[in-house]
Amino acid sequence: MTLTTNDTGNPQEILSAQEQQWVDKFMDETTLFLGPDPEIMRNHQIHARTAYEDECISKGISPLEMDRIRKRLAGSLDEAFEMCESMGAAPGAKWADLSVAVYTAEGDVTYLSNRGVIAFSAVLHHPIRYIMKNWKDEPTVGIHPGDGFFHNDSRYGMVHNTDQSMLVPVMRDGQIIAWVGATIHEGENGACEPGGMPSGSETPFDDGLRASPIKIVERGHLRRDLLTFLQHSTRDPKLMLADIKVKMGAVRRVIESVDRIIEEVGQESFVAALRVTVENVEVEVRRRIKELPDGTVTFNQFMDSTLKENILIKFACKITVKGDRLIVDLTGTGPEILNRAINSPLGSTKAFMTQAILSYWWPDLPRSTGALSPIEVISEEHSWADAGYDAPVGQSLQGSFRGFSALQTAYAKLQFSTPKKYSNVIAPWFNQINDFLWGGTTQHGEQVGNLCADLNGMGGGAKAFRDGEDAVAPLFCAMADIAEQEVMEEEVPFLQLVSKRLVRDNQGFGKYRGGMGYEMIVASRGTPNWGFMTVTSGSKFSSITGMFGGYGCPTYPLSIVKGINIYDIIRKDPSQFDLSIERIMNEQPYEGGSYQSAHMGLQFDVAKEGELYMISQGSGGGYGDVLERDPEMVATDLQLDRISAQVATDLYAVVWNPETFVVDVQGTKDARAEARKRRIARGTPFREFIKDFVTEEPPADLLYYGSWGQDNDEEVFATHWGGQEPQRVKGKLSEIPLVMIPDRRVLKIEAQDKRIRELEAKYGETVLHKS
Amino acid sequence: MKRISVDIGGTFSDCFFVWDDIYVESKALTTHHNLALGFNEALDLACDRAGVSRQQALKEVDSVRYATTLGTNALIEGVGPRVGVLVTHGFEDTIHLSRGRGYGEGLDPLKQGDMADAQRPEPLVPRHLVRSVKERIDSIGTVLVPLMYEDVRQQVRELVDNGAEAIVVALTNATENADHEERILEIILEEYPAHELGAIPVLLSSQVSGRKGEYIRAMSTVVDAFLHQTMFHALNQLSSNLRESGYDKPMLVIHNSGGMAQPNSTDALQTIHSGPIAGVGGAQHLSETTGLGNVVSMDMGGTSFDIGLVPEGGIKHYDFQPTIGRWMVSAPMIHLNTLGAGGGSIASYDRIHGAIKIGPESAGSDPGPACYDRGGLRPTVTDADLVLGYLDPENYANGYIPLNKKRAAYAIEEAFSDELDLEAIQVAKIIKRTVDEEMAIGIEKELRTRGGLVEDYTMLAYGGNGPLHACGIASRAGISKILFPPFASVFSALGAGNMKPLHIHERSAYIVLYDALERSLYNDYDAINNYIEELEQKGAEDLVRQGYDRDSVKYRLEMDMRYGNQLVTTAVAFDINRVKGTGAVLHLIKTFSDIFGDRYGEGTQAPEAGVRVQTVRVASYIDGDVVQFESLDSSGTRRIEPVAVAERTIHFTDEEDPVNTPIYDTMSLKSHYVINGPALVTTESTTYLVEPGWRLEPTPQGAVWLLKDPTNTTDVTTKLQFQGA
Repeated sequence: MTLTTNDTGNPQEILSAQEQQWVDKFMDETTLFLGPDPEIMRNHQIHARTAYEDECISKGISPLEMDRIRKRLAGSLDEAFEMCESMGAAPGAKWADLSVAVYTAEGDVTYLSNRGVIAFSAVLHHPIRYIMKNWKDEPTVGIHPGDGFFHNDSRYGMVHNTDQSMLVPVMRDGQIIAWVGATIHEGENGACEPGGMPSGSETPFDDGLRASPIKIVERGHLRRDLLTFLQHSTRDPKLMLADIKVKMGAVRRVIESVDRIIEEVGQESFVAALRVTVENVEVEVRRRIKELPDGTVTFNQFMDSTLKENILIKFACKITVKGDRLIVDLTGTGPEILNRAINSPLGSTKAFMTQAILSYWWPDLPRSTGALSPIEVISEEHSWADAGYDAPVGQSLQGSFRGFSALQTAYAKLQFSTPKKYSNVIAPWFNQINDFLWGGTTQHGEQVGNLCADLNGMGGGAKAFRDGEDAVAPLFCAMADIAEQEVMEEEVPFLQLVSKRLVRDNQGFGKYRGGMGYEMIVASRGTPNWGFMTVTSGSKFSSITGMFGGYGCPTYPLSIVKGINIYDIIRKDPSQFDLSIERIMNEQPYEGGSYQSAHMGLQFDVAKEGELYMISQGSGGGYGDVLERDPEMVATDLQLDRISAQVATDLYAVVWNPETFVVDVQGTKDARAEARKRRIARGTPFREFIKDFVTEEPPADLLYYGSWGQDNDEEVFATHWGGQEPQRVKGKLSEIPLVMIPDRRVLKIEAQDKRIRELEAKYGETVLHKS
Repeated sequence: MKRISVDIGGTFSDCFFVWDDIYVESKALTTHHNLALGFNEALDLACDRAGVSRQQALKEVDSVRYATTLGTNALIEGVGPRVGVLVTHGFEDTIHLSRGRGYGEGLDPLKQGDMADAQRPEPLVPRHLVRSVKERIDSIGTVLVPLMYEDVRQQVRELVDNGAEAIVVALTNATENADHEERILEIILEEYPAHELGAIPVLLSSQVSGRKGEYIRAMSTVVDAFLHQTMFHALNQLSSNLRESGYDKPMLVIHNSGGMAQPNSTDALQTIHSGPIAGVGGAQHLSETTGLGNVVSMDMGGTSFDIGLVPEGGIKHYDFQPTIGRWMVSAPMIHLNTLGAGGGSIASYDRIHGAIKIGPESAGSDPGPACYDRGGLRPTVTDADLVLGYLDPENYANGYIPLNKKRAAYAIEEAFSDELDLEAIQVAKIIKRTVDEEMAIGIEKELRTRGGLVEDYTMLAYGGNGPLHACGIASRAGISKILFPPFASVFSALGAGNMKPLHIHERSAYIVLYDALERSLYNDYDAINNYIEELEQKGAEDLVRQGYDRDSVKYRLEMDMRYGNQLVTTAVAFDINRVKGTGAVLHLIKTFSDIFGDRYGEGTQAPEAGVRVQTVRVASYIDGDVVQFESLDSSGTRRIEPVAVAERTIHFTDEEDPVNTPIYDTMSLKSHYVINGPALVTTESTTYLVEPGWRLEPTPQGAVWLLKDPTNTTDVTTKLQFQGA
């Protein structure tokens, strides 16, 4: 060892090679535990070709032979998908909320099932690399033929913790040559609230089961000790047991196919086909990026809630195309909030970028992670879209879905002027899971916690040539299913008294309107113990925008009527069975009811029999100027009560006969001409607009997080509760203090205490508090 | 036995005629304006061949059976009445929203995955013809909100005023309590009596399906209502025609459940796909009567490839929520997997992988493949088959369609020459290999998903393109035995001739056979037996109504079962009809476990999570006479090779160089001959491609085996001298 001084003049040791080796060995042997590895978790590029892959490819397999292998794999994956869908106990499995894929030995997705959630498979290279790095040569773990690894912690690479995976190596002569993985959205995971997606989690420990990759299947045998631990850790042990078996079965089925393929074409051809597929997709993506015009598209999004309190937090995104490079820059995104559930690990955010690319940009591409690999993502750790290890992530979809929306929306702009289009130009898809999560004791006496399939009816974005599809598949899964209510009512103790009804004005207006969302009204029945949750944002600030002049989706509050039993009411007077959110909340028809509305971050709320919980599924964004909408389409929407007369008049400037719904063509022409004149009259030169509109900082009373303005992304704003009063801070993400928001109830008590003190001072009384 | 069975397809009306020991096949063009004309023409041809008059035949046959694609066509063309629907308050948009996934039903995976292009089909029920009534029933049939009669009248009037020509009543949980639906029917009949003008047909969802699921049951009823008129008129037309020709028994209509019934016991929905499904029924019959064992049927036509499964012991695979056209419905239908590939599938370059992809686009029949010379410019599978020398340009489709080989080669070169440095013939080989591979993967997936092993199955091939591709598909799938069945060109009609009178009734049920929390077995035997008895009663009534003797009715009990909280169930058929004790309950659980293990792999069963029955189903049927086939011997001992009539240069996918291949004609299809591949056998209706390593063995009644040789037997075969040599 020698001593020197560093830049600050302090002495610094220089270790010899031997000493360094000792230190490394010591550090290695005394590691507390193996957490998520930043080297693995921040990298989404495909792995460099291994020497073995290179050797296999050099043997010269033909493209046609590789195509055969791919097709056989694709068939096998679809078969495994169907198995999971058929056998899965999780509601999500039935609704296609799952995925099965084949990976290279280093974890790159080569191919995944035609149906299912792309993002589920697109994130599993992280745990595979973790296993390869840490467990492969670890004497207490190791990897053997027939082993299977389970994990669910999104910090190790998972969309969110409610999903669970099974990863199984394909081995030949002791060497891992591929992996097969299956993931299902299981729902219940033992979190602080039932259903697996707790909006109320305030620490990672509230997020429920957080399994790093563990070997649950040992040489083909399911380990009962670990299985028991997992079952014991959640509210639904039946679900845990059944679906681990389902995933094992599905993966085994794929491995049988892989074995046959290898027997037929040889191990080297198989390995070469896996690798070349990934590379081919990457090459094709670069080629397609090059077809896009150079330039930068900015798309900033704002979330209006922590799911507990109203805030405004920014998801900043600039997408730049330069030749065959595409750079997604998330700089300026608000900081992680260390005691709120909305944070998303970067891996999850990127997984949904892959979802956008493979479902909405280039749906014809083979489903491989090669699709995201050429895309550069700039992001700083500890933003809410790139959460650190200590942040709760129970509702990480809030961050990661915005990663999807950023790419989906930006692409409409990027591809607008390209002659070759691989998909339609569309407005944003709705991006919230406006849905009820539920839990408690069923009418059959079982403890359960999960969610409704109704989240799968997101409104589709308007196309450039027609309206968006009403309540169609969710952004994350083609052909997902919103299920049958009759079947659900047999299983769980609540009824949808309004089940998916489209209601007027719930749409993103435009030349072509967004696909509408539906209204749902539920009430529990026949259970001693039940409750609901909702877990989304967008009650005050629309969660998606319109496109090229179209409107964004409306805002969606949660409405509740407490203190009534609707079943008694409608049984006694059937005419009262006339339910809609609009009528109930405006007319408040049920005597004695407490009518409440709130944002959609409802923590688990105990629902007594017959109390009403009411929400709306969201609309897709509108496309184009409302004044260009075909008046006949406006009249049709009017006739079907899809829009109100006010919207038809004020927004669309259409004149019609209210008896016959016949459009007054000339009257409409005149009304639109007037509307355009009013627009011009309201218009202001851009510089003047900027002068009046743009401020240096967000309004003082707004709990704002993230950069402010377009060109200041290096600095972010936040509110810090370090002292007595909240304090706004500004600076680089790495420099601002940790952000934690005080408990609402504590703040409320503090405010009440303060008021009491004021009143005591004013009236000279002393309030005695009994503890 | 004397019997007539007809399959009226989109192009041809096929007839299979049994006159004691004479079996005759015939075909005529389908006459869409009046189906009876084509029917008569095919029948006359068959009668001529059998040497009897139409009148005599119709007077003496035991039955006339009829399978049709009429309903399918009406659905595709959107031809039907304006259907109005009454639903439960709060469920007004259920049909329109089609479970979210309705945009993609009936489309290929690529289109399903293209979210930016998602678009639902034109609805069968326009939204303004959906009305709700204030009523609600819960999942066990309890009335939560009683029906308000005046409210019902008001909604019905609005529907009629808005132009509804048929009314569907589809109330939530009507399977558990149909009282409200039935009251509404009474109200409609009061308002619009059947004897008055303005009367409209009314269909109740509870009568169409006993299965839970408000969308699928409503949609099934809507499809039924939509097709009702078309089917009623068409069946009437055919019935009248038969009566005029002297047939005095009820006509029998083939159902997609694998059975058949008289028109008065037939829902329109049950006739959809009945033609192709009759083909699978034919496969079952052939398997049962000839000891074929496990059979996978393959019908490769111009635009699609149908795969059906008949494991030994009979058809076990049903779809209970099949997709018809673009609509998911609730009906027990024999499982048939249709892949979108056939002779008309277009081949294109896959730039990403440097490969060739087939479909999903198809040239269809208009303009058809490039070689049809009808304006098609893009190369298809048929173009590749022609370029490779498999098809005779002068004698394709019995000479009806002349083929232009140069056009086919040009189309292939145009499509691929910029991308692939290959001759048209080499590209054509890739096309053939690729399409065969994809079909093989489809078969393999189909079998494995349902618990079959490819090597245990015989492929039964029929349909226009089957004989050309069967060897290629079977080789790639790992199947070594292919049978082109007797009367292959009218095989669906033959299948129709062997269907049984059968009705399937089912009802949702909440039965916990094993309660995992209580660790107890089901013991309410009366309850489960009452369910079964109720369903048997319904089936028997259906059959008795058609004149069958109640004592001859047989029953098969089936249940849809699941472990724990699985949402999708597995259909299980039982060998008992009553549950009389713990032993019977354990027998149900064991049977379920066996089937589950076969299908998904041993060890995937999870009885620890509980065992539940979700649906109870009873198939009620009558056994009857069936067509008897002659031996399908393929002992491998034949040694006589017939005389070839010509020789042609043909390109095989796995052979580098072209092969001078002997061509045989119909005369060579005698049951003591063997034809070793490579060879081509052309008949009036088809061309068999016998690839190298395969041999062809004809059997009586026109059936043909293609068998994969473990070793080439050519050397030991007695070759009759080639005429041209």
